[in-house]
Amino acid sequence: MMDLFLQTLANALIQSGTYALASSGLALAVGVLHIVNFAHGEFLMVGAFVAYWLSVLAGIDPIVSLVPAGAVMFAASGVIYQASIRRVLLAPELNALLLTFGIGITLQNLAVLAFGATPRVVHTAYQLTAVTVGPVSVGVAPLITLVVSVTLLAGMYAVLYRTGVGKSIRAVAQNRTGAHLVGLDVDRIYLLTFGIASALAAIAGSMVLVRIGASPHMGFGFVLKAFAIIVMAGLGNLTGVLWASLVLATAEAFVRTYVPGGGGAAEAVFFLLIFFTLVWRSWRTA
Amino acid sequence: MLLAATSLSKRFGGVAAVRRLDFHLDPGEILAIIGPNGAGKTTVLNLLSGVFPADEGRIVLDGVDITHLPAEDRCHLGLGRAFQVVQPFPEMTVRDNLMIGALFGSRRRSLAEARARTEEVLALTGLADRAAMPARDLTLAWEKRVEMARAIATSPRVLLLDEVMAGLLPQEADEMLAVVRSVRETGVAVLFIEHVMRVVRDLADRVIVMDFGEKIAEGSYADVTGHPRVIEAYLGMEEAGGA
Amino acid sequence: MRWVGPAALCVALLVPLVPAGGYQQYVVQVATFVLINAAVALAWDIQARTGQLSLAPAAFFGLGAYAYTMAALRGVPLAVAFLLGPLVAGVVSLGLGIVTLRLQGLYFAIATLAFAEVVKVIFKELPLDLTGGAVGLTAPPLLGGHQTGLYYLGLGVFLVVVVASLAVRHSRLHYAFTAIRQGELTARVLGVRVVRTKLLAFVLSAALIGMVGAYATSRLFFVIPEDTFGIGLSVTALATAIFGGVYTTAGPVLGAVILRSLEEVLRLVLREGYLAVYGVILMLVILYLPGGLVSLWNRRSRDVAGGD
Repeated sequence: MMDLFLQTLANALIQSGTYALASSGLALAVGVLHIVNFAHGEFLMVGAFVAYWLSVLAGIDPIVSLVPAGAVMFAASGVIYQASIRRVLLAPELNALLLTFGIGITLQNLAVLAFGATPRVVHTAYQLTAVTVGPVSVGVAPLITLVVSVTLLAGMYAVLYRTGVGKSIRAVAQNRTGAHLVGLDVDRIYLLTFGIASALAAIAGSMVLVRIGASPHMGFGFVLKAFAIIVMAGLGNLTGVLWASLVLATAEAFVRTYVPGGGGAAEAVFFLLIFFTLVWRSWRTA
Repeated sequence: MLLAATSLSKRFGGVAAVRRLDFHLDPGEILAIIGPNGAGKTTVLNLLSGVFPADEGRIVLDGVDITHLPAEDRCHLGLGRAFQVVQPFPEMTVRDNLMIGALFGSRRRSLAEARARTEEVLALTGLADRAAMPARDLTLAWEKRVEMARAIATSPRVLLLDEVMAGLLPQEADEMLAVVRSVRETGVAVLFIEHVMRVVRDLADRVIVMDFGEKIAEGSYADVTGHPRVIEAYLGMEEAGGA
Repeated sequence: MRWVGPAALCVALLVPLVPAGGYQQYVVQVATFVLINAAVALAWDIQARTGQLSLAPAAFFGLGAYAYTMAALRGVPLAVAFLLGPLVAGVVSLGLGIVTLRLQGLYFAIATLAFAEVVKVIFKELPLDLTGGAVGLTAPPLLGGHQTGLYYLGLGVFLVVVVASLAVRHSRLHYAFTAIRQGELTARVLGVRVVRTKLLAFVLSAALIGMVGAYATSRLFFVIPEDTFGIGLSVTALATAIFGGVYTTAGPVLGAVILRSLEEVLRLVLREGYLAVYGVILMLVILYLPGGLVSLWNRRSRDVAGGD
């Protein structure tokens, strides 16, 4: 009994690392640009495919590929920002929502056209090995993704709270006009932030590739869960993302383990969390 | 007594924006609220029109306790409100802006009745020439007029005006004064906030002076401008009886 | 432009009579799909007029489709089963709306998108003998599956949505919807019952979409969670309405005629992935023509609230 409980908890912890990585980028873009990027999941998908092809064509380990995957998406998001996002920053917020929704749908279906809809997997030596601590057994690959996620999140916080760039980003997030008045180039900071946010998604994508695989439709499920996480955390609240990721992953893991036929039910957990968070908020403020 | 507020209070964070305010308004009366910036004047209008709820106190409109009613119900009961920061529906024409007030305001009107009411208010407020313009193409002075006309179109029993004369040329302000007077002629009570002292002197039957969320004086224009606390509150600003 | 509507209706009535030789059936089939897409897009647009962006049209389409199919398979008379489509979609949307319509626009959009996904999961996971699980169910056809008959039924369904849209457009609801969209707080202070009005728009729209879902199922003969509740349906509806011109009756219809025809051509070339076109169109229209196609010739006449 206890063993199963601990194993479930371990699975939850691993999963929450990926969730936190995937939703931090989304929360960063919301907090700074005030844009909810519906294409965030597809950015994750792009990262997974970059890592996949690097593995297939060049034999590069997907964990190593998180660097090129992040770089590719960083660059691509710069183009996307310049060509489209910056034009809707001052438009009604629903325009930005529809725009990013369109970007996501386009990327998803271009991927279907290019790679077909069938999921793809990579094979590495460490995917088959596991570490056993007492009653709990954790695969090496998931463990690596957790370590990478934690390291990157720590790095992101260090940048945001310990460097000049981070200070500028936080200043813009708090007060766009004020930041502009003290001489910050708001547009460049938006560009940079959107790039970082998108790169984080792509890196999360290469992590998912290692654990599960890549498919054109993989991003949608992640973006919905990332929504649940940032809604629980409060839009744009970065530290909230960490515990919200833990809550979602834990709830899913326990439903999957303890509810009969819970595999499917676990896929509905995120919605209940969104729903109850929103309902609770709307009644509290009503 | 048409409208009465007793012990009305509102805090934002630790700051008391309005503190135990009592006042009343009679049918056909024009009451002005004046006071330095940040005295809580606009908050009073927000509490009356239901933009946000009061922390304490009671608001009674013609015998009905409206303290806990939502904004739309207060409008139906006869509170018409013009905002200080004009809020026209930007993509609508001036005419359609007024239509909203006429259709959904204090009387339930059919489309045809609302159209008639709209034309009536367009003529009364001198907006007929601009009726077909989209509201976003208007200058601020005309937007203010739309703001007030839309509130009048709701057929209120009490009209709440928040600095509708600010920034207007003297002649424009005079036209607005004439409109307010003619609305009052129909038995509507008016509660207005104003910084332009000439307007307060010419229009108000009675004046309430607020400072730091409290009422510090009440009476005729002459009474309050001579009141020592009022002079003190305005000290360092423009002379209280100026203009 | 008053002749456009009646003229289009005449063309629609004559479609099955066009002598297209061997392509006759194909023409009628494409025309049917145009009607379905137009009806969903227009029904979606009705609630978009309140400024609330629902990303859940697929959910209500699917609920209508499943309500019809499940009832019909249990021996409920087909006409009654058909009416269950709008009824079920309407009732569910009422529940969802009551909890979510107080939310700010962005949260509402997220909540509806999540809702659509979860309804799909639920229908997949319910017991096989109830919903057919991931495989779905075979739906009994209306009118014995007679293709021309079904086309005219589709035209009728489409016209119900058009009439609803026009009725809204020419009633006080039009003013309420537009006011809420352009300034919710101001609308409240002017006496518009905002939550109630949004709820009405949401339920009306969902019931209409549910009706189209029930009809489309009787035409397609099956329901499958992945397709019937698929995100593709929502994307198509949004892109169609936005491309043609939101907040109008003509826009979504025009959008459906063009985009669905284009889609037919694309499907000959591509088996999957044609949705990319809808994505691209969504992006381009938001960036360069936010009023959609109809704004091109409506630019000079905007005496009515927010164009038409």
